[in-house]
Amino acid sequence: MSDKPVDKMSFEEAMAALEAVVGQLERGDVPLEESIKLYERGAELKKRCEAKLKEAEEKVAAITLGEDGQPTGTKPVEGL
Amino acid sequence: MSTVFITHNDCLSHTTPPGHPEQVARLEHVQQALDAPEFADLLREDAPLGTDSHILLAHPAAHIKRVRDAAPTEGTVSLDPDTHMSAGSLTAALRGVGANIRAVEMVMNGEVNNAFCGIRPPGHHAEQEKPMGFCLFGNVAIAAKHALENCGARRVAIVDFDVHHGNGTQSLLWDESRALFCSSHQMPLYPGTGAATETGAFDNVLNYPLPEGCTTATLQAAYDGEIFPAIEAFNPDLILVSAGFDAHRADPLAGLMWEVEDYIWLTKRICDVADKVCEGRIVSTLEGGYDLDALAASVAAHMLVFMERGG
Repeated sequence: MSDKPVDKMSFEEAMAALEAVVGQLERGDVPLEESIKLYERGAELKKRCEAKLKEAEEKVAAITLGEDGQPTGTKPVEGL
Repeated sequence: MSTVFITHNDCLSHTTPPGHPEQVARLEHVQQALDAPEFADLLREDAPLGTDSHILLAHPAAHIKRVRDAAPTEGTVSLDPDTHMSAGSLTAALRGVGANIRAVEMVMNGEVNNAFCGIRPPGHHAEQEKPMGFCLFGNVAIAAKHALENCGARRVAIVDFDVHHGNGTQSLLWDESRALFCSSHQMPLYPGTGAATETGAFDNVLNYPLPEGCTTATLQAAYDGEIFPAIEAFNPDLILVSAGFDAHRADPLAGLMWEVEDYIWLTKRICDVADKVCEGRIVSTLEGGYDLDALAASVAAHMLVFMERGG
């Protein structure tokens, strides 16, 4: 388990850590006493992934096209 | 006809390392709760010692030997990161088996309507040859086999409402067509098994995984929507309950949000189903539950329903 604080992780780091947590829980190789702590870490990692995705979404802008099909500018994407 | 509480102070001699959640105080709290005046009429029995022949109903001889050989004369030994034995653990575990055997006999013989075994260590994680998750012997699987082989039951249904999946009971009864094992449990969580796709060799396993935070509505939908109809269709002669109280919102080892009122509802509904299919015959056994106050209050509530319905 990485010592890096979850709130400092990149999306890729948080996703990789989350996959590791899910794998451990699914394989059942976590002690009973530790299982809920690992689940809670998974929930924290999921939250981090969601926050990073949201950040990325906000940076995405749709390219707007003019009547002649040529790009005229950008606008924020809705509904992602 | 009435309700019996079977326990034994030897179950207090199973000690675990300091800070371990499956601690002596759990059973002390349960026993104290059942010393309250409203339980004055409760029939009480000391659990006898279970025997190898009882354990062999569900485990191979190699498992008994392994547990016996591991038992220390002093201090504690670890069988895995969760599961420990002290000098008193083997006797405690044998009392747990014996409590279940005695309870099944009393209920099947019509001496009482229903029974609760207040024992530890718990049993529902113990697999054929693998003690795990605080458990040494599969108490409830042994009880099921005893009812089927020696007490005239044609079919037995098991309700496991401990927050963790009862992997041991499931594995011990996987190919027992006369037993229906039903479990609700938080998932993902220890031990990692319990997917709805695990259905037993004879469609005799029903797993109902629950999401973190599950409250009353989801609980009731699980039981009234799937588990109880399946038990009624199976038409058992006895219902066994793996009664873990760690789905309580206060429990430190899980993340469900049940309250004492939910255990009252669940116990009443189990009694309703038992009344309908098997003349109210129920044997319930303590599994998990690690918040001492929540455990004591939940067991007391469970028992009050049993007494009301068994009286």
